[in-house]
Amino acid sequence: MYLNSAVPFPFLSIPFLLVASTSHLLAEGELDFVRDIRPILSDTCFQCHGPDEDKRQADLRLDLELPARADLDGNPLITSGDLEKSELYLRVTSSDPDLQMPPPTSDRQLTSIQKELIKQWIKRGANWESHWAFSPPLRPTLPEVANSIWPKNGIDHFILRRLEKEGLSVSPASEKRTLIRRVTLDLTGLPPTPAEVNDFLADDSPRAYERVVDRLLKSPRYGEHMAGEWLDVARYADTSGYQNDGPREMWRWRDWVINAFNDNKRFDEFTIEQIAGDMLPNATLSQQIATGFNRNHRGNAEGGIIPEEFQVEYVVDRVETTATVWLGLTLGCARCHDHKYDPFSQAEFYQFYALFNNIPEHGRAVKEGNSPPYISAPTHTQQQRLNEMEERLQELSREVKRNEPALREALTKWESENNSDKPFDSLIDDGLVRAFSFEETPSGFVDGQPEFAKHGDGQAVVFDGQRHLVAGDVANFGYFDKFSFSFWVNPTSNERGTIVSRMEDVHRSSGYSIRLTNGGIAVDLVKRWLDDSIRVETVDAMIPTETWSHVAVTYDGSRVAAGIRVFVDGVLQSQQVNLDYINQSFAADDAPLRIGAGHGVDGRFSGMIDELRIYEKELTPAEVKILSEPVTVAEILKIRRNLRTTTQFEKLRYWYLRTHAPQRIQEVFIQHRNSQRELQQYQESLPTVMVMQELKERRPTFILKRGEYDKPGGEVTPGIPDALVPQKESISDRLTLARWLVAPSNPLTARVTVNRLWQQIFGTGIVKTSEDFGSQGALPTHPELLDWLATELIRLDWDLKAFLKLVVLSSTYQQSSVITENHIKLDPENRLLARSPRLRLTARMLRDQALLVSGLLQERRGGPSVKPYQPDGLWKEIATTTNYEQSTGPDLYRRSLYTYWKRTVAPPNMAIFDAAGREMCVVRSSRTNTPLQALAVMNDITFLEAARVLAERAFREAEADHLARINHAFLLATARFPDREELKILAEAYEHHLVNFQNNLDAATALISHGDSELKHRLDKAELAAMTIVTSTILNLDEVINKE
Amino acid sequence: MDPIQTANLLHTRRQLFNRSAVGLGTLALSSLLSERTLAEASEFPSFAPKAKRVIYLLQSGAPSQMDLYDYKPHLKDRFATDLPDSIRQGQRLTGMTSKQDRFPVAPSMFEFSRHGSSGMRFSELIPHTASIADDICVIRSMHTQAINHDPAITFFQTGAQLAGRPSMGAWLSYGLGSENDNLPTFVSMVSGSGGQPLYDRLWGSGFLPTQHQGIKFRSVGDSVLFLSNPAGLTNSTRRRFLDDLSKLNHKKLIDVGDPEIATRMSQYELAYRMQTSVPELTDLSHESKETFELYGEDAKVPGTYASNCLLARRLAERDVRFIQLFHRGWDQHTNLPRDIRKQAAATDQASAGLIRDLKQRGMLDDTLVVWAGEFGRTVYCQGTLTKNNYGRDHHPRCFSIWLAGGGIKGGMTYGTTDEFSYNILENPVHVHDLHATMLHCLGIDHKKLTFKFQGRHYRLTDVHGNVVRSILT
Repeated sequence: MYLNSAVPFPFLSIPFLLVASTSHLLAEGELDFVRDIRPILSDTCFQCHGPDEDKRQADLRLDLELPARADLDGNPLITSGDLEKSELYLRVTSSDPDLQMPPPTSDRQLTSIQKELIKQWIKRGANWESHWAFSPPLRPTLPEVANSIWPKNGIDHFILRRLEKEGLSVSPASEKRTLIRRVTLDLTGLPPTPAEVNDFLADDSPRAYERVVDRLLKSPRYGEHMAGEWLDVARYADTSGYQNDGPREMWRWRDWVINAFNDNKRFDEFTIEQIAGDMLPNATLSQQIATGFNRNHRGNAEGGIIPEEFQVEYVVDRVETTATVWLGLTLGCARCHDHKYDPFSQAEFYQFYALFNNIPEHGRAVKEGNSPPYISAPTHTQQQRLNEMEERLQELSREVKRNEPALREALTKWESENNSDKPFDSLIDDGLVRAFSFEETPSGFVDGQPEFAKHGDGQAVVFDGQRHLVAGDVANFGYFDKFSFSFWVNPTSNERGTIVSRMEDVHRSSGYSIRLTNGGIAVDLVKRWLDDSIRVETVDAMIPTETWSHVAVTYDGSRVAAGIRVFVDGVLQSQQVNLDYINQSFAADDAPLRIGAGHGVDGRFSGMIDELRIYEKELTPAEVKILSEPVTVAEILKIRRNLRTTTQFEKLRYWYLRTHAPQRIQEVFIQHRNSQRELQQYQESLPTVMVMQELKERRPTFILKRGEYDKPGGEVTPGIPDALVPQKESISDRLTLARWLVAPSNPLTARVTVNRLWQQIFGTGIVKTSEDFGSQGALPTHPELLDWLATELIRLDWDLKAFLKLVVLSSTYQQSSVITENHIKLDPENRLLARSPRLRLTARMLRDQALLVSGLLQERRGGPSVKPYQPDGLWKEIATTTNYEQSTGPDLYRRSLYTYWKRTVAPPNMAIFDAAGREMCVVRSSRTNTPLQALAVMNDITFLEAARVLAERAFREAEADHLARINHAFLLATARFPDREELKILAEAYEHHLVNFQNNLDAATALISHGDSELKHRLDKAELAAMTIVTSTILNLDEVINKE
Repeated sequence: MDPIQTANLLHTRRQLFNRSAVGLGTLALSSLLSERTLAEASEFPSFAPKAKRVIYLLQSGAPSQMDLYDYKPHLKDRFATDLPDSIRQGQRLTGMTSKQDRFPVAPSMFEFSRHGSSGMRFSELIPHTASIADDICVIRSMHTQAINHDPAITFFQTGAQLAGRPSMGAWLSYGLGSENDNLPTFVSMVSGSGGQPLYDRLWGSGFLPTQHQGIKFRSVGDSVLFLSNPAGLTNSTRRRFLDDLSKLNHKKLIDVGDPEIATRMSQYELAYRMQTSVPELTDLSHESKETFELYGEDAKVPGTYASNCLLARRLAERDVRFIQLFHRGWDQHTNLPRDIRKQAAATDQASAGLIRDLKQRGMLDDTLVVWAGEFGRTVYCQGTLTKNNYGRDHHPRCFSIWLAGGGIKGGMTYGTTDEFSYNILENPVHVHDLHATMLHCLGIDHKKLTFKFQGRHYRLTDVHGNVVRSILT
């Protein structure tokens, strides 16, 4: 009976099971349907006789009581108390291959013990209970216990009751030093300082421990620690995860999580804001940022993917993550067919899916940066700065306006005083990269000799459909760059011809080009012509032949077609978008700029081009207007004022303003322009965050046959499975879903949440399978405790700090973690908690602890991710194009939740210690003990530098002698002093290494030079090196690697 | 029982690279003692295995089958003609070519000739592979469902297109455990610059305990992360350090009785042994001149495919269970003739050299070698087509791979494709089938190697897979 993993209860009997006969066992135990029978049926029978309608054999269903008790034409499956009239029993015990169940070919077979259990169950009346987790928790009364002194709160009643029943006794309370280290690690992820330890030791009051707990829960470190755990659950990362695994920017969501925990945002609000913050009335920026939770999934930007395929995956990820995190359900198993074990149909899966399928997203993700929808998400400080800049700009705008009459007056005065016949012109020079005026012959003409023709005061270049100009390494723009082109063109044919390009001179190759097409202008920004480019062309523009037109093309670096603007003769043109999808830079590094050519021999231009000007900025429409004015400034000056066109006046005014206007007016003009530019740059530099948004018109959702994106079946409406809530019609969108998740009637959220918190503190959940509360999941070791905690969390109004306080104030938590012979014999897994667990620290805690005890830790909260030490070349080795640019200075020593997380190449000193990979939602990680971990703590520069700095600290803070220093370092790392034997071992080690290093000062110098942090004090090198070996030993102690 | 004694009893079974039949390595104590993990994986190999280990030569980026193995002589006459709709059958294409105006046939420009006693054909690009024709089985009818690199290579590695499942090597580590106390069970190595990126998940452990993940041997810096002692810390200092650490931990073990402490102590010792065993392994200086002639001069350059092939043999000699090479650069959308020449030159000799070397050492019989990309390439041209230049897009519907060694019939081809190498005509082999067949060679029924996660008994082959018996000895 104890062979199924879902039966944790009777494990105490395992040792006996191996020798005892079945009947003996059964005679002693009480048979429990939920514990002993349902798991057998679920694991062995449901595949063919369960919820999956398509796969159901013989129309027989064993997951529900009614059908299981059906009469079946006089051969009832189960007849209480009568084996011979129970087809179930007859089948599972039959040796006839045609009758035998499961069939001999099945992968799952029943053991003799399981058969015996079924027999006994039927004999004893075959009672039935429905699956426990789908009924809302009822608050149990506290059980009576013999030892009435021990319990400090409700938790202890349940734990003790069970221990008493199993004949185990509780452990003595932990020593204060052990306890404060444990609780500090558990609540803040960091160990206590010696001062904190001393305060606790000195506090004799009964509330001393509670005061520590209150202090820890108020510490902002609490929020960071809790956020770290939530990042694993939420599959948070700094990259998108597929193929090239480009960067994204989600740290504003991480900041939100840290603040939410520190502000003790109630878990119901925490839930609602993350699931549907955008749909709350008048959603704040903060509430919108919260919805980043459901955008943390991976995004595929690989070239050539079929977007629809991956858009489905994103929605499925949201469904699976939401179901796992809040409901503890494996809803994803119903994607391709009805769930095999739990009562969820495939249609219900897609109803749930529909709730998350209504966001304006695209299946192909953006390769570098956030994928829509995303919002600008300034921090509080940034918002203040933004407001200031906007105010300043407004002020300057008003001043510019105020100056206008004076400017005009000055211009009039200037005109009356100055008179010259000298021809001159002035164009826009701001941001100019290169101008080709063709007054002189540039080098680089190919396929013929250069030819020019007169144009205006000067000359234009003439092309004949072959000859063109190769202008060299000019204007190498990529897709993040703002740029503009301005030129005059006079074609002999306007059907086609490339005016300017930077690309390999092959038809449709990658790079950019501006060309004539069917009389209009086409602009192409191309990585791959067919599927990775922005290609637009004007709709109504007509560039006449044998006539001069002015053309300007501007691009704002936004990577979308709307970022391109084409002007003809100063007028913005409407454009048709041929493709609006670019995911890689189109910069053609190896190609030259070509004038009159691009797209191969068929792309050559015929006609004249003049005054080609290239800018590294987006020209404004006003600037384009000025550029499109053919009349020179000198000539405009000659035109009578009232006969000048508006553009002519603007051109003149612009020239005058920059050259002759009164100084004050010029200054304001420049300040205004700079202020505009700064504001724009600042706005563009602000962090963004991907968020959830709702489409105005609901995207229809279809059942996908076999879960495949291209096999839609019937349409479904949004909703959740019937088994979870009878009135499913009330859940129609994310907001109603979010509210239901934390409604008191929800059977799962509170249980699943308290279980995960329990797991965080005790290492294992009350339900071991914290990801699966369904039929195949493990049963709770303490079902009543689970329900009591769940109802308690609700009673506490979802206050997580209060809840955690309850847990750590329990006697259960405060027990010693010393393991006795009895523990190993009777409860090796410590599921009954007759002792406090002794657990290896998580990856984050381990690194953060080393940083804290050495004093290296930099406690700046929030902000973008940082890149601490990592062995050279790790990214480049497999990720090809990306390089890890290690942080410098303080950013090397931030808490690990701020470490940049590249999904395809996880930070090695996190991965080695079982950190969740962040590719998908993980609510339960393994906790291994490997040689690679030993190597990391011994040799990773992170720990090595910490050891050296800890050694330095010992010298600084304990001046007496090396014994005092060892004592101090030991205290910093363990919260206790070494005993005499330990001190002796470490002291002798120190003395041994000291002699060695004194004889080999080069080695000493090398050893104390690891890491970027500078040696702060002039210490004897050999002494520091020897102490570094000692402190490294301390950091490698099992006690330090564990919480006890 | 005395806690130390208990711990000793336990930890002998619990080293990462342990010998235990269950391959459970260092799960937390609790899991080790729990009935479930044992029940799920205790019975392997369940029948006599032909192979004890696998060397998998993964050709990342997808090599073009019709330029290497799948001889299509009639295509020369169809140069630049449209791929007939009857062949194309409206099947999905990648976004990179689906909007092409035409799908012109690009015949291979390379010559093919017959080799080995079976007379199978190889292109002129791979003369060395051709010379081992009698030792390998070429499958021309491989197919997959993914059409882009990331999902496709993930599918080959884990049996699923999306992240989250254990890789093949992790499954074997879980199922079979290790035969070497001082080296990892599963080693991966990477070569080839540029090309498609790779990902940790390709050798990851998915939902299996993390000690089953592959250890990536690196060609720069420490071959295993954090292996070397830091500058200034000599081997004797490390020894003394470990002795002191061990004394302190031992004292702790007596004080608190946690068997995990004993495990940690043994892991530190194992780490120390690895500091010797790994450099010894990666040191090729004692390999003979003849050996380098076999693998090619490249084998002397760390980080090359040839060097990794030689390392693979050394790992195999030390009974590492699963050795996987990833060689990048086969993704030839354009300029295929130019690039495939380089790619073939970098891999052909060493692949063949490895087979010869294993054979001459008597190891080919119990080593299964697999050479495969993640999908094939299209017969139609991507981009500009000339007689001497063309490109090919991704093609999942048929492609060629080869297997050799433990349990595989040499000198045969399996499966046929149509005239265009576009569809399979007979004996299709799906990725799940390949996995099932590989596991079979190792003595594992692919339906029996399971791990319960999220309520399901997961397999490498999901709910699919058939052993391809015709290619087995």
